[in-house]
Amino acid sequence: MVVLVLGLASAAAFGCVRWVQAKWLSQDGPIVFIPKTIDPRIEFWQAVRQGVDAAAKELGTEVQVYGTDWEKDIDGQIRIVEQAILLRPKAIVLSATDYERLVPVARKIRSEGIPLVLLDSGINGDEAESLIATDNVEAGRKAGDALKELLPDGGQVAILNFIKASSNAVERENGVLASLREEGGFEILPTEYSDGLPDKAYEVVRSLLRRQPELAGIVALNEPSTVGAARAIQEAGAAGRVKLIGFDSSMSEIDYLEREVLQATVVQKPFNMGYLAIKTAMRAALGQKVEPQISTGSVVITKKNMFSNENQKLLFPFLE
Amino acid sequence: MKGRRWFQFKSIHTNIALAFSLLILGTTLIQSYSSYRLSTTSVTETAVGYATTLIDQVNANIQTYVDNMESISALALNNGDLQRFLSTTLKTPESDLLAQRIGHFFHAIVASRTDIATLLFVGSNGAVISDRTGAPIKDYNELIGQEWYRKARDAEGGIVLSASHVEHLYPKEYRWVISLSRELRGKSPSDPSGVLLVDLNYNLINDLCRQIQLGKRGYVFIVNSDGELIYHPQQQIMFTELKTEDIPLILRSPDTTINAGEDGERKRYTIRSTDFGWKIVGVTYPDELAGDKTRMQLSSALWGGLCLAVGLGLSVFLSFTMTRPLKRLEAHMKQVEKGNFDIRVDVTSTNEIGKLARTFNLMISKIKELMEQKLRDEEIKRNSEIKALQAQIQPHFLYNTLDSIIWMAETNKMAEVVKMTTALSRLFRSSLGKGEEEVPLSVELEHIENYLTIQSMRYRNRFSYRIDVPDELRDCRILRVILQPLVENAIYHGMRNKAEKGEIVISGRRAGSQLELTVEDDGVGMTPEQVRSVLSEWKADKGGTGVGVVNVQRRIQLFYGPQYGLEFHSEIEEGTVVLVKVPFRKGGEDA
Repeated sequence: MVVLVLGLASAAAFGCVRWVQAKWLSQDGPIVFIPKTIDPRIEFWQAVRQGVDAAAKELGTEVQVYGTDWEKDIDGQIRIVEQAILLRPKAIVLSATDYERLVPVARKIRSEGIPLVLLDSGINGDEAESLIATDNVEAGRKAGDALKELLPDGGQVAILNFIKASSNAVERENGVLASLREEGGFEILPTEYSDGLPDKAYEVVRSLLRRQPELAGIVALNEPSTVGAARAIQEAGAAGRVKLIGFDSSMSEIDYLEREVLQATVVQKPFNMGYLAIKTAMRAALGQKVEPQISTGSVVITKKNMFSNENQKLLFPFLE
Repeated sequence: MKGRRWFQFKSIHTNIALAFSLLILGTTLIQSYSSYRLSTTSVTETAVGYATTLIDQVNANIQTYVDNMESISALALNNGDLQRFLSTTLKTPESDLLAQRIGHFFHAIVASRTDIATLLFVGSNGAVISDRTGAPIKDYNELIGQEWYRKARDAEGGIVLSASHVEHLYPKEYRWVISLSRELRGKSPSDPSGVLLVDLNYNLINDLCRQIQLGKRGYVFIVNSDGELIYHPQQQIMFTELKTEDIPLILRSPDTTINAGEDGERKRYTIRSTDFGWKIVGVTYPDELAGDKTRMQLSSALWGGLCLAVGLGLSVFLSFTMTRPLKRLEAHMKQVEKGNFDIRVDVTSTNEIGKLARTFNLMISKIKELMEQKLRDEEIKRNSEIKALQAQIQPHFLYNTLDSIIWMAETNKMAEVVKMTTALSRLFRSSLGKGEEEVPLSVELEHIENYLTIQSMRYRNRFSYRIDVPDELRDCRILRVILQPLVENAIYHGMRNKAEKGEIVISGRRAGSQLELTVEDDGVGMTPEQVRSVLSEWKADKGGTGVGVVNVQRRIQLFYGPQYGLEFHSEIEEGTVVLVKVPFRKGGEDA
């Protein structure tokens, strides 16, 4: 009788220990990452993805990625977020395609008790635990400063923005304007929009070049806009005459940089963003305190400095 | 509680249980802890040894690669065509032919292997020959501005190995490579010269090092003598400064294993140097190498706890088993305390406790025996006392009666002689009896009848007597020869000095649980002082009759108890009543 009791007790104790171990040591649920788009041609998000994977490997957690094919497919992204909630993930990392329209679904995430971390683009309100992004106003300033350096005497300039409602777009533009307005000599034309499509950017700039023969400089605020603008400038033979400052660093942009069609480009640190976002999400999932805002910074790249040790590592993220 | 020392609890049971438990706890703890430490130490040491072997292997492999590159560069540089090409002027058919041949030669080398990305020669005469004939390459002035060229020139014939970097020789082509560059020079400084570039695909080093597994999180990285990273598995994170390795420490250290800390986590660097200035570093996390440390701890704790529980159970059980017989013995002793000497302990074992029990039994029976013996002795004593007392009554009476018989015989009163002698004989017969202490009342009355017959004859016409006892009382049990001393007293003290004829009445009645016998006379009576003194001890009197009454009282009280005995009521000139109180018991009833 005594032996039986002892046996049962030890089995129970063993089971308890195992259960505690399991609870303590194991992970439940993946981290879900929803970028603005999963279009493989856009290298920015590929670099973000690399950062995400590096952090996931380091932490030993699973990351699942879901996204739309097109950055402007806001409804698509909302649907994807709703599906993600059903997976009962540890946390959700989101790059919002719209500052306002993603708020209701963000509230839903919060009410389910899932921590939300924002990457690159924020949303209205404070549903998220943290926002990991470039300080876009500062980045815009840097672009503006680069243009000022190239046009010491001022001149007629235009800003090519991408999506009107995107918070990043708005902030960058504000940064550029703030910088340019410090100097008296700039005539700033009304802002044009590319909707994030290189072809549209190309059309807009081509038309702009025709309409404004005095145009001295263009600041393009994201990668598709920059690439489209560069193509238009090159075709029109205006390279060097019309100074182009761009954003991000796709292979095309690097080529344009080397061939001096693009004078300078402001590069974000997408790898860092991805890496830090996952690390922050993990901390939030474990109930630890996180910084509400983490700025990953930006760098101005020119032909002269692009192959320096640090910059080449930024521009050419090593693909494993 | 204060001042209580260890192992002085009230019961042996607790002491044993406690001692066992402490012992088991101590042993288990020591065991678990030491085995845990031993295993972690041995695992760690094994892992470190393994890491070291692995690093040595990586070192050898990398060495091979670089040696390969060196030999290729030597191969290329020793090519005759190249030597001649240097001396010819450019743009001549001869130079073009040579250039073409050299290009093909380069191409042949590169095409046969996967590790080389580019083979390039840039001459001081402005010539640029690569393994890719016809491919657009950046122009001469750009190329000589690049680092590999400048450093090779500075090295003046020595081998220059770069850190990993992006090759940018061809437009729109950017590849990560490691560059080996070397100046080819003539015999004198004025001779034409050039720089040979061999670009090694970084992929290869990456693939080689990535495979290395040093535990779950351990890895290998390579750093050059300037502290620049050649390879690191978490490259991107390193580049973006989100994570660091202690490079200065590594550069300072010789080929050994050292400890370093990082964000509160310990790690070990195993360092090996190559010939060409690189250091290969293996990073291991000792905590992780101990396997699932938490799991081991929990497991040890669990098993330790189990052993403890079992041990506790065993010790309690054992101590219980040992003390149970003792407890039984204790219970029996308590019984004896209460006065029960008939119990015996069951002896079931042959050990010390068994022996104790046996001895206990012997002791108890001995005690019982002694007690019984004592009782018997008491009884004998009592009996003899009674007999002795009894014996005192008789002789005195005998003398007197015999005297009377002699007197009557002398005066020829034969009938009286017969009567008296007969009565005397019956008297003595009933007096001696069979030695039993109690007789039926009828026998006692017969006895007293005989007595009175004798006495009335002796004291002729001095008194009359009457026996007035109901028939139903006649078979009551009573001590023998009680009434005789009383009647004797009545005659000698009551009647003798009385002038008229007196009367002695003996009666009896039942009073509840008592039998009351009365000896009444109407003689001279006694004063209160006499009444008080009559029962005083051992009053020696003339006729010795005082002794008789005391004797009777004694006997009654000895036999029946102190609540029974004699009561005297008397009045001067009126008479005396003696009450005899004994328990009312019929024949056949036991005491």
